[in-house]
Amino acid sequence: MKSSLVGQAVILAALALLPAAGEAIYFRDKISWRSAIAPSEMVTVEQARGWGDTTIWIDARPEDEFASDHVPGAISLNEDRWNELLPQFLAAWAPGKKIVVYCSSLSCNASREVAHRLRKEAQLSDVFVLEGGWEAWLKKNK
Amino acid sequence: MNQTPNIEHRTSNIELPNDVGSFGVWRVLWRILDFVLAGIFIYAGALKAFDPVQFASDIDNYKILPWLVSVALAFYLPWLEIFCALGLVFRFLYRGALSILTASIVVFTLATIAAKVRGLDITCGCFGHASQNWSFPSHLATNLAILGALLTLGLSSRLRKPL
Repeated sequence: MKSSLVGQAVILAALALLPAAGEAIYFRDKISWRSAIAPSEMVTVEQARGWGDTTIWIDARPEDEFASDHVPGAISLNEDRWNELLPQFLAAWAPGKKIVVYCSSLSCNASREVAHRLRKEAQLSDVFVLEGGWEAWLKKNK
Repeated sequence: MNQTPNIEHRTSNIELPNDVGSFGVWRVLWRILDFVLAGIFIYAGALKAFDPVQFASDIDNYKILPWLVSVALAFYLPWLEIFCALGLVFRFLYRGALSILTASIVVFTLATIAAKVRGLDITCGCFGHASQNWSFPSHLATNLAILGALLTLGLSSRLRKPL
């Protein structure tokens, strides 16, 4: 084919759009376009509170923020002191408990990272991320 | 009045001597390189196409692009890689495929270096889960080797007959 280099690149780029669009439709329920967390892994404050005593709250924020205030009964577990804090959390955990991880706000990543590590490294299921984080909790508890 | 002769400049087709037996050998070697690179990109593309959620997360780890763009690229880039790789195999849109693959490997290499400079401990996601435990030097060496091979093919394609 004697079309120009740019023309060839454009044709290839356009061809790749077709399966990509198909895959995006196929995975529409498995990935969120708004947030890095899948919809099935997120909970709202109301949902988490509705679980009552089966919920374990994990505070993924830095130590000083946890010390200044946190969700009642929450356990501090952040990536800075992961190895030190994980055993404390595991001592409080029991099968059937739902784990809700939160960080500062909607835009923070710490809760996502901690939730990911709990699933991957501690092999725990029922790990959720609190939508809106600590800010959302404060709004609902004013 | 002097007239300038109408000289036809031929820059695209380089005339090759007829007796270059070694040229045939090089053609075979270049074709092998086409297939090797195509295999690498099809493998890498397929791994990522099967797990776009993980690839979106890998792109997001670079902390360069918004999540929305990371997701769009996670769906798109693996297929672009696969189509370009098929272009190498079937010599279809060959130079376009080489250009896209070269540009993408350059961008990923620069992003990997930038992430390292910024102190981010990330996996490049280039080969899905297979590359999760690769060290930074391994990433860099692999990318540079692929880049070298792509550039070699790009230069050699100029010596071959136009596609």
